[in-house]
Parts: sequence; structure tokens; C-alpha cells
Amino acid sequence: MVLVLVTITIITLGNNGALGGLVSGFQSLASDVFSPLDGVVSAVTDPIGSFLAGAVHYGSVNQENQRLVNEIGQLNGERDAARDNAEALKQLTALLHLPFVGNLETVPAAVTNYGTSNFSATVTLDVGSARGVQAGMPVVAAGGLVGQVSTTSGGSCVVRLITDGSAVVGVRYGPAPSQLAVLNGEGYGRDLSAQLVPPNTLLNVGEVFTTSGLQGAVFPPGIPVAKVAVAYSGGVSTQETVLVKPIANLESLRYVSVVLWGPAS
Amino acid sequence: MNRQSIFRFSLVLALFVVIQGTLGLNLHIDGVHPDLLVVLPIVAGVLGGPSRGAYVGFAVGLVADLFLPTPYGLSALTGVLVGFGVGGVTVVLDRSALWLPPVAALLGTAIYEVVFGFVGVILGQGQMLKVNLVLIVLVSSLVNAALALPAMRMVAWALPEASTEGVPTSTGSTKAAW
Repeated sequence: MVLVLVTITIITLGNNGALGGLVSGFQSLASDVFSPLDGVVSAVTDPIGSFLAGAVHYGSVNQENQRLVNEIGQLNGERDAARDNAEALKQLTALLHLPFVGNLETVPAAVTNYGTSNFSATVTLDVGSARGVQAGMPVVAAGGLVGQVSTTSGGSCVVRLITDGSAVVGVRYGPAPSQLAVLNGEGYGRDLSAQLVPPNTLLNVGEVFTTSGLQGAVFPPGIPVAKVAVAYSGGVSTQETVLVKPIANLESLRYVSVVLWGPAS
Repeated sequence: MNRQSIFRFSLVLALFVVIQGTLGLNLHIDGVHPDLLVVLPIVAGVLGGPSRGAYVGFAVGLVADLFLPTPYGLSALTGVLVGFGVGGVTVVLDRSALWLPPVAALLGTAIYEVVFGFVGVILGQGQMLKVNLVLIVLVSSLVNAALALPAMRMVAWALPEASTEGVPTSTGSTKAAW
């Protein structure tokens, strides 16, 4: 009972911000300690994983063809690594050509982890406050918006993806584009839902929603966010039901760019 | 709990944190990954009863919360409840039985994930409703069930003091069995 009361007190103080500095300090310290370990362990385990994956892929293994199967597994691992490198090169090259960022300064970053919690859609990047990254900054990848930095430490930061259930993005759409709407995240791997789209609005599948950049907006204007996947109007609904698919491929992110931009800039 | 136990348990906890942050986060199905740290309060509860389960759940939860975007203390609260609950339920069972740790880990982890999401929503974390809870429960529970026996050995090594809560129904002591 005492422990339950202590934890409830901690949560309450945390929600009120009374523990904010202390907790974020410990979180930053833990992140800084853990990040290098992550890299070292991954460097050791990834080749083992590729090798095992290659061997397992070829089904049942008996003693007679063990050596042969292992060789095939190893070759497959090398082939997968080559494909992996090609994909990484593709994403890095795309980051060099982000027209929607304009003259804004960016910091390139690698994704080191997908979602530390199953209950939120986040990724961890290998850049932090030491490179000028601050909470609230937008993160983009080839194609468009990825999310927003939620916490930072010296050498890493956590990005809340636009698909996270708590993510909200103000957007524009339409021919001008002059119409305004709000996109809500619906959870990892799911399409976003658009709010405030008037009923019977003509929306074509594939039509692009871009960040609105209104005064006080948390993202700069003109960044592509998502494309219309489904749009229809119900009988008595006060708004059109619109589902949109993120343009950036959020499920296979390798490299991204943090835009050094804040609402005040 | 003496200094040696604290030191040993810190080592076990650090090992689990590293494994969770590296292998654990890379083994994901449809964006859902295992939640390895949850197994520690569960096996501590099986080994040492409700109080030890609650203390371990508290300590493990506070460390886990350092790496999570959810409210600080949420994992600790859930860990205390589940560690205490598992310890309380298993205290009347034969705690030296081999089947007990995997089954306790399977059910305890499932309850942990549901309680974690439920309490999170109460605390205003609306995004916790927008997850595939069934998949989270399945992945986390099955992995932790597989991990329960080695985790049990590690926790028994770290916290060797005999439990004063409940009486194992087997002839051998819990400590001796693990």
C-alpha cells in the first residue's frame, strides 16, 4: 500500500511538473549511458541475427547438409546486407533533396530504435541537444513529415511520430491550397484521420495534405504530411470522414532530418 | 535485503535493460515488441511472495520509466500491483513447481499490459486506446513465459534470502529449488 501511494505521488508530481527537471535529468542521463551500449550490442548481434535468419529461411536442416545450408545462410545474409545498404543509400540520398524544407537548417540523424513503448509511436535518433536539437522541433524524411521531437538528451532524442495516438497536425488542402483541417494520429501503422473537413468536400485519393504553418503552429508551412486514402460523407455527419496515409514511410525509417525550427523562429 | 543482494539485483536489472533496449526493441511484430522487464517482478513475486514482488516491481518500474515516453511512475505503479498480486496468488501454490514461473509470467504479463494501458488512459494518455492491445498482450506474454525460468534463476541468485511470506507446499524450500 505504501509503494502504491508513493508511485501515485510520483505520477502526480510528474504530471504537475514538480518533478520535471529531476525526472528529465535522470532520463537524459539514462539515455546517454544507454545509447553507446545500444550501438555496441547491436553491432555484435545484428550479424548473428542475419546469419541465423539466413539459415532458418531454408527450412529443415539435417547433419548431412548442415555445412551447405550454413553457407547458403551466410550468402543470404550478405545479400540482405547489400540490399540493406542500398536502401540506406537511397534514404540518405533522398535526404539531400528535401525541397519542402527550403532554407531551414537541418541536422541529419539515424534511427537507432523503434518505439521504446508499445503504447506510443516513437523512434529514437542518434542526435540530441549537443547538435542543437530541442524538444518540439519537426522531423522530416524523404517524402514528408515524420513527427516532432518530444525529449532530448545530449546524444539522442525521442521523436513522437505523426501516427502516435496523441499526435495532432494542422494542415492545408485543396486547389489553392486554402482549406484547413487537423490530422489526428490513430496509432502505429494506422492511417491518420482528418478532422474539420466539411461534408461533401471533393477530395481525390492521393491528394496531398501539407502543414498549415498558421501563427503558433508547431510545424513550418508547406511540408507534405499525408495523402488521402479514403474520403466519404455520411448522411447526417457534420464533417467528411477522411483517412490519410503518411507520405514518409514511417515503418522503415533509417535516416531522417531534424529541422532546427521552432514556432518562434 | 543486504548490500550484496542490492548489488546483484542491480546487475540483473542492468542486464535486462540492455537486452530490452537492444534485442527486445529489434524483435517486433507489426510494431509491437516484447516487454522483458515485466518478468522480473513476476518471478520475484513467485520466489519471495507479495512484498518482494511489490518492491521489485517498484524498483524495476522506476528504471523502466526512465526510457519510456509515458508518465513517470506508471510502470512502477503497475509493477507494484502485478508483483504483489502474483506473489499473493502463488503463495498458496507449490512455488518450486517448474510449470509455475512460465504460467505466472504468461498471465502476469497479460494483466500487467492491460492494467498499464487502463491506468494510462485514466491518467489522460488517450493514445493508449489507439493500440493493438491484443497483439501487445500476446507478444509480451509469450516471450516472458519463455523467459521465466532463466529469469527465475537470476532473481533467485540476486535475492537468495528465504521468503517469510507463505509456506511452499513442496518438501524442499523455494530457495533450494532455484
